[in-house]
Amino acid sequence: MSILYDEGQQAIATESRRVLEARVNKDELLPLLEVTGQYHDGFWNTAKEQGWTALALPEAYGGLDLGLVELGLIAHQAGRSLSGAPFLTGSFGAAKAIELYGSDEQKAKYLPGLASGETIGAVAFASGSSALPVLPSVTVTDHQLNGTKTGVAGGLAADVAVVYANGPGMPALVVADLSKVTRNAIDSFDNSRLYADLVFDATPVETLVVGGAARDAALHILALQAVITAHEQTGGAEAMMEIARDYAVTRRAFGQVIGAFQSIKHRIAELYGFVELARANCIHAASREGQADFITAAAAARISATEAYDSASRDCVQIHGGMGVTWELGLHLHTRRARSLAIEQGNLLFWEDILVDRLTGEAA
Amino acid sequence: MSDLDAYRTKAAAWLESMVPTYGKEARKGLSVEEDLAVARQYQRAKFDAGYAGINWPTEYGGQGLGHLEKVTFDTEEMKHGFPSFYFGISLGMPIPVLMQFGSDQAFVKERVLKALKGEEIWCQLFSEPSGGSDLAGLRTKAEVDGNGWKINGQKIWTSWAQYCDYGVIVVRTDPNVPKHKGLTYFWVDMKAPGVTVVPIKLVGGDSHVNEVFFDDVKITDDHRMSPVGGGFAVAIATLMIERYVATDSAGFGPHLDLFVDLAKDTELNGKPAIEDGRIRQQIARNYAMRSGLQSITARAMAMMQAGMVPGPEGSLNKLVAVRSRQKLSELAIDLQGSGGFHYDDHASQKENWTSSWINAPTGRIAGGSDETLLNTIAEKILGLPQDHRPDKGVPFNQIPA
Repeated sequence: MSILYDEGQQAIATESRRVLEARVNKDELLPLLEVTGQYHDGFWNTAKEQGWTALALPEAYGGLDLGLVELGLIAHQAGRSLSGAPFLTGSFGAAKAIELYGSDEQKAKYLPGLASGETIGAVAFASGSSALPVLPSVTVTDHQLNGTKTGVAGGLAADVAVVYANGPGMPALVVADLSKVTRNAIDSFDNSRLYADLVFDATPVETLVVGGAARDAALHILALQAVITAHEQTGGAEAMMEIARDYAVTRRAFGQVIGAFQSIKHRIAELYGFVELARANCIHAASREGQADFITAAAAARISATEAYDSASRDCVQIHGGMGVTWELGLHLHTRRARSLAIEQGNLLFWEDILVDRLTGEAA
Repeated sequence: MSDLDAYRTKAAAWLESMVPTYGKEARKGLSVEEDLAVARQYQRAKFDAGYAGINWPTEYGGQGLGHLEKVTFDTEEMKHGFPSFYFGISLGMPIPVLMQFGSDQAFVKERVLKALKGEEIWCQLFSEPSGGSDLAGLRTKAEVDGNGWKINGQKIWTSWAQYCDYGVIVVRTDPNVPKHKGLTYFWVDMKAPGVTVVPIKLVGGDSHVNEVFFDDVKITDDHRMSPVGGGFAVAIATLMIERYVATDSAGFGPHLDLFVDLAKDTELNGKPAIEDGRIRQQIARNYAMRSGLQSITARAMAMMQAGMVPGPEGSLNKLVAVRSRQKLSELAIDLQGSGGFHYDDHASQKENWTSSWINAPTGRIAGGSDETLLNTIAEKILGLPQDHRPDKGVPFNQIPA
């Protein structure tokens, strides 16, 4: 696949930017931080209306048959504009798991709803500090799931979750209907992500994969999501770099704009480096889906995008001085998002290990 | 297979066939003078095989191909450690400028051909003791002398000047106007009376750069390559000639695989160092950085192939790659503990961590320091303002020293 965006892809980037910049603003996002369980309706309705939920899913099930490159472009813009809900990545991950590992009945049952956005999907792989535990903390017996999954993004609103479980004695990837599951809301620093602990109590599930293949499948889904999230992080980092630049060329101190001081301009130039390295890795990773080095490319994208977003949000606030830490200016929306996205889909430590295992030939 | 792939394959095969004669192993133990003699033969072999002046006009002895073929060949060539570096500056900047700005075409053609064949080498006399990054602040002067000019002053950091036949030089011809406006661009004969070249030994033990002194060096006006006072524009044109050159995400240091091998073979706390989280993190971060640079380069190449102009992000390569290489080299030496003291002046900086480490600062300074590159990114790409410059608009001879 080409690493140059074609006209259609460029149109996706332009149009998503136009729409999101018109419909999402910080004044609507700030109040969401102070309550649990609420997300930005405007964002999610836009995603459905624009067909973003259907973008990377098969045409046979209501999708648009596009891929990581296109969804990545949407995610990049969602990162710039601060997406108001985590479902784009969650639903995509759940749908890909069902598409790749489910039966025809399962696909027919779940994919059309996920593609239209009527069904909200989530992915529940992690257990505490482990993004992909050797033996997951929730157990499947007789097609029933028991136990608790912690910190599931979108968990407060999702209708269905793909869960990485102990199957028993071996890993299993299952689909759980969440309608009767207890969701304990997490009061988080980034509440519109709708984090919840999901308590499964004899929850009926459908199996997608069991055994060693389940772990490979989970890692693959995680990598697909990681590439999308990396685009979102890069978009957020780019926005913070530009906000820092715009401030530095207008704010004056000691008789000149502060952007003329090398301590400021070099800091912003360094951010440019972070952003472009992350973007380049994202473009590369999105083009490697289906290739032997996909996991490696996804890990590299994820690592550089996490570094970029954290660095850009840190330095952008610093360049703003006191104004940077006010609630009203809203830079903290990015500071918070940089950290929440850093944890979702496996943190830096997880992806560094995955990457080094691949480079040293330790991975299976 | 695309035309470019075919070109790459053919070039790679030819280069492979040159390794036994001109590769690193074949040249081991040679003095610089002996090595240069071999290098001239290698350059001649490139010329004969059609790999010299790849993207230059055929009328000058070039191949008339595109920039892509040139970068493709250079990328392949870089893998082998051939002695092409003696001619890198010569063919990279002075000669293209001569082709563009030289007035006597018969003379120009003769020089270009000899340079392409490795028979003559040109240097670039820009930096001075009083300023490298601040090029326009240079002090070497040329005064009118009869129908020609008389040059006095000193240049420094001039690569390979001790072996050069000619050089291009920027000098001050009018100290009464602001610094950028009083410069003029000439070429000089490096063997002319009054030119003295003194090699400078660098920390890595080699002496490829020099001080060059000019004492009443007389040149005729046909050496002039810019309008009087118009030298700065030509100097900038020189620096813009090769915007996309063959790059190396390893920062011209060792490949990351060599670090992984070292970490596998070294024990740390009774276990292979590759199992140590601190080491693993550095491998992962360096890999991500390098893969990003490679993707930037791949995208630039694809854009050029599609007839588009690559984005400015290519300017990150040197900045990011070389300083990362410096830190990784430090870690590699650390990792070897008391076994890390060995040092070999002649080791390759692409294969030896100690050599890579001791030569890394040169890489971060030569051809645009980190700080200059950051300024360029900030100003040219991001639109941030220039630094406060007290010398701006002030006649050169009134700038406080």
